[in-house]
Amino acid sequence: MTTLLLSGFLALSAGLLGISLFGILTRRNFILLLIAIEIGMNATILNFVYFAAFAGAATGLTGQAIAVVLVGFAATEIAVGLAIVLALNRLKGSINVAQANELRL
Amino acid sequence: MSLEEVAFLVLAAVALGTAAAALLVRELVHTILWIAVFFVDLSAIYFLLEAPFLGVLQLGVYAGAVTVLLLFGVMVTRKRIFAREAATGIGAAPLALALVTFVFVISAVGEFSASEQPVRSYDPTYLSANLFQTNGPWLLLLGLIMLASVSGAIYLVREGRE
Repeated sequence: MTTLLLSGFLALSAGLLGISLFGILTRRNFILLLIAIEIGMNATILNFVYFAAFAGAATGLTGQAIAVVLVGFAATEIAVGLAIVLALNRLKGSINVAQANELRL
Repeated sequence: MSLEEVAFLVLAAVALGTAAAALLVRELVHTILWIAVFFVDLSAIYFLLEAPFLGVLQLGVYAGAVTVLLLFGVMVTRKRIFAREAATGIGAAPLALALVTFVFVISAVGEFSASEQPVRSYDPTYLSANLFQTNGPWLLLLGLIMLASVSGAIYLVREGRE
């Protein structure tokens, strides 16, 4: 049986969340913004998997089931995000989010 | 230090490095290459945590589908695929906020036990039972949300909207 340090995994998630937040706040390109959000979502999914792995069979598998559902949500989010990228590019000729200043695409 | 701990340290360093590199390089195609390495690395972490089903799912959905979708998005929105992004600078305030978040979360992590804990392996059959019986309604909800979002995406990109 493998033994690992839980706090090490949590520190990794915290680091990924920090990087994601930094990307969301600084990048102006829509695709980079989507990638930053994905990094944040992966940090969250990782947390569910850690606790699933360390909690044991009684409650552990619920964490993995939630992780599977979250992976599906993340894929959906990318699909809708890219549709918005295409619509924005057609309307404004650029995918800079600073130019998306109208509510109706 | 056991082999698993060394593997975790290497995988964690690669994950943090590739995530940072993806957001800091100026060519979008290089960003997508780095993010693909990041996804494969996370899949290896799932295998290390005895979650092979999620590892395979991560490879298929993220390293496969999401990477190709992002590449497709870059391909259709620019004339020259290797064009560089304008330099946006690091920005002191966002960096400070990201660091504050990191320190805050790390201080919360300190509450957890610092001792090593066993990673329990399981039979994937139990996961499918959990997914389709205990959490069946959530899975149905996910299906409905996916259907609605695909309809929304088609509506957004259809011809003649502008």
